[in-house]
Amino acid sequence: MLAPLISCKRSMMDIRLDGIGHSYDDFEVMRDISLDISSGQIVCIVGPSGCGKSTLLRFIGGLERPKLGRVLQLGEPPAGCLNPLTYIFQDFALLPWRSVSGNISLVLEDHGIKGAAADKIIEDVLARTKLSDFAKALPKQLSGGMKQRVAIARALAVKPAVMLMDEPLSALDSQTRELLMDDLVELWTRQPFTAVYVTHNLAEAVRLGHRVVVLSRRPGKIREVVDIDKPLAAREFGDADLEKTQKYLWQLMRDEARAADAELLHG
Amino acid sequence: MTLINRRKALALMGGTVAASGLAAPALAANKKIKVGALRFTSHSGNFVGFERGYFADAGLDVEFEFFQAAQPMAVAIASGDVDYAVTAVSGGLINLAEKGAIKVIGGALSEEAGIDGQKYLISDASYQAGIKTLKDLDGKKYAITQAGSSFHYMGSKMAAAEGIELSFTPLQKVGAIIGAMKSGQVDGWSIVPHIAKPLASAGAWHMIANVSDYIPDYQVTTVFTSAKNAADERGMTESFLNGFSKGVDDYAAAMIDGTADQDEMVDLIHKYVYTDRERAKAAPSIINGTMRINKGAALNIASIKDQLSWFQSEGLVDAGISIDQLVDTSYVDIIGA
Amino acid sequence: MDETGTSVAFRGGGFAPKSRRWVGVVVFVALVLFVEWGTRAGWISSLSLPRPSDVFETFRQLYDSGLLFKHLGPSLSRLTVGAILGASVGISVGILIGLFSYVRSGLVPLVAAIFPIPKIALLPLFVIWFGIGEGSKYALIAFGTFTPTVVATYGAVDNVDRTLIRMGQSFGLSWWSIVRKIVLPGAMPGILSGLRISLAIAIILLVAAEMLGAEYGIGAYILEAGSLYDLERLFAGVVILSLLGVLVSGVIGMAERRLLGWRT
Ligand SMILES: Nc1ncnc2c1ncn2[C@@H]1O[C@H](COP(=O)(O)OP(=O)(O)OP(=O)(O)O)[C@@H](O)[C@H]1O
Ligand SMILES: [Mg+2]
Repeated sequence: MLAPLISCKRSMMDIRLDGIGHSYDDFEVMRDISLDISSGQIVCIVGPSGCGKSTLLRFIGGLERPKLGRVLQLGEPPAGCLNPLTYIFQDFALLPWRSVSGNISLVLEDHGIKGAAADKIIEDVLARTKLSDFAKALPKQLSGGMKQRVAIARALAVKPAVMLMDEPLSALDSQTRELLMDDLVELWTRQPFTAVYVTHNLAEAVRLGHRVVVLSRRPGKIREVVDIDKPLAAREFGDADLEKTQKYLWQLMRDEARAADAELLHG
Repeated sequence: MTLINRRKALALMGGTVAASGLAAPALAANKKIKVGALRFTSHSGNFVGFERGYFADAGLDVEFEFFQAAQPMAVAIASGDVDYAVTAVSGGLINLAEKGAIKVIGGALSEEAGIDGQKYLISDASYQAGIKTLKDLDGKKYAITQAGSSFHYMGSKMAAAEGIELSFTPLQKVGAIIGAMKSGQVDGWSIVPHIAKPLASAGAWHMIANVSDYIPDYQVTTVFTSAKNAADERGMTESFLNGFSKGVDDYAAAMIDGTADQDEMVDLIHKYVYTDRERAKAAPSIINGTMRINKGAALNIASIKDQLSWFQSEGLVDAGISIDQLVDTSYVDIIGA
Repeated sequence: MDETGTSVAFRGGGFAPKSRRWVGVVVFVALVLFVEWGTRAGWISSLSLPRPSDVFETFRQLYDSGLLFKHLGPSLSRLTVGAILGASVGISVGILIGLFSYVRSGLVPLVAAIFPIPKIALLPLFVIWFGIGEGSKYALIAFGTFTPTVVATYGAVDNVDRTLIRMGQSFGLSWWSIVRKIVLPGAMPGILSGLRISLAIAIILLVAAEMLGAEYGIGAYILEAGSLYDLERLFAGVVILSLLGVLVSGVIGMAERRLLGWRT
């Protein structure tokens, strides 16, 4: 299975977060977050519940505006890129009334891509996500893992410069999660893409992240940025050095998580 | 449907119980009966009979049951919920008589030459468009409440006399018909004078002819009861007709013959009719609405026969129904035979 | 282990009614036979209920004389035109209410105010506004179907999964595409179940509509039978309305199966 070229490959578009801060009314959610996301990297964001990870992702994707600071696009998205900042949602967000290929053509139609041109793209992304046999299936006929693969295929179809993934695997059981992580690694290895990957799961973070950003509890600030140099393809389930990094991350997070948990309990 | 104030009724009864005991020793004292009524002046016989104690004198404890329309009243008599009522002969009434449920036992409202009666009308819009006579109504829309109603009968008799065809348009409610006449949606109609006159002056329509010109001696409404009452409760039925007739006599004396105080009678009727208007506004309508109610509840059998045969010819009721199934002639004077 | 232990008592089951088609038919037939017996034996008087066989006979005559279609034709056209008008305007307005704050603030109280008005009470007014021809009949049925459709539709739009709309936005879909491809199909289940109610109301209103100067029509036929206290014709007419109701419900069921096959 040879992946055809997509034009966003080696995208030269980086994202820079510059002093992002936000509050809902008097309720401060995050403070002074500055971060560079360079192209071809997967940046994982971890942090205790409610620290503003999803909100930050919405800022990056332009679905919401921060009160302070700016989200900057450095460089142009490469030609042929239909939707530079593309989401992958926790709950898949597939249209249940459209088939697998219908869900993908949905995001192409508005760019005037129809008929044979659309079919070609759909065929390609379905092949890359190993869904070629399910083009005609409705979402209700698919398992959770397959649904998320459809969502990934849909994201690939618009040739994004940056993929924004908000806990994309957390609705899945652990075996499916492992398989999908393998799939993501494979996808990236074959064709490196830029991604911001929000997760609760530290195993995912050390498996997929080139950099792991640890946020503190609300108001979310950057607590530490951990770079993992080991190539994605070389990482495996249960690697000792990854375990170590994971443990380190957990130590960073534990107190924050505990405090955040107590905060939630006390309302 | 509202019940009359019971306390008032009891007080009234208390005052007359002793007298009635003496006056009608043959009758059971204070027999409870229900009388169906619409809040129309044509039901005045009942109102006067009650207010002046004539029913009590006859040994009856009358309770009124008020209705919005004649049709449910007829059904209430058939079901035995109401004992006596006054209403126009209609297809529904005849069909209920055929089922052995009700009987006509007397006459009430009549068209009488010399007394203002029901009018044939032409809507102003049609009038302006050149429909000036009833003959001009040929092929035009003539409003009725429902097929088989008295409006249908009146229109049909007029059409036959004029040799024209009418397009009968059922509109169910008098209110809807008035709306349709005002806006020129229908061309012709007939209605009682106290509705016809004010709106004629207001320019909504034109009064072209009297119904009595086309249907002489028209027995507009009748007194009726359940077949069971007519057959088995002779004493009670006679007592009712007795009280009703006395009420009618007082009404006629005050409103038509001028031999009694009209103001006092208007006051009495105003307790039941147009109660939502102040007396000064109600009085003209009550006075305009005056029509002859037959003395002694006499029944014009010729008119009833004519109505029955018209309903039969229209296929609205079974052709096999005889006048005896509809009318019990043993109670009142039969006229026009 | 004790081999002779008692088996655990079963206490699940129940609370899951399934449809047993024939039971409905049996109940219906039994009821009809019961009434037939009662009216023949005489302990149901001819005043209380007509004899089912007579109703059937009336129905047959209605069919043989061709009058059935003379009544059915105008009624069906009134139902169709009125319901299509009311439902399509209702769906459009419902969607606008579901999408725009100003439309919502302006129209929701208005719809709430006109919903409980018995449309029959406006009869005289309708005569003046729309005439006693077909116009007032269409208008009455349209008006009656409009309000429940609006309420069902904007409720359905409100219930469309917001994450799907966010997804559409995140892929840069145009406003119109989001409405057409996400909001409308997502609201379809609610709209269809609203239509089930609206169309039943349309049938109810048919009788009221045909109060307004209709010579032919099932409603007019029933009204005339009622005023003549002709129970056989009354019931024959009512049976036709019931059949219409079953038919409409069947058509919507079919539409649901076709359009909502994606539901789990
Ligand atoms: N639209 C909003 N209005 C008000 N408060 C909000 C809004 N969206 C999020 N919040 C609050 O902001 C905080 C951060 O929310 P966010 O969803 O970004 O957290 P998170 O880190 O993604 O949490 P989780 O790990 O549970 O997904 C939370 O306390 C949340 O209640
Ligand atoms: Mg979140």
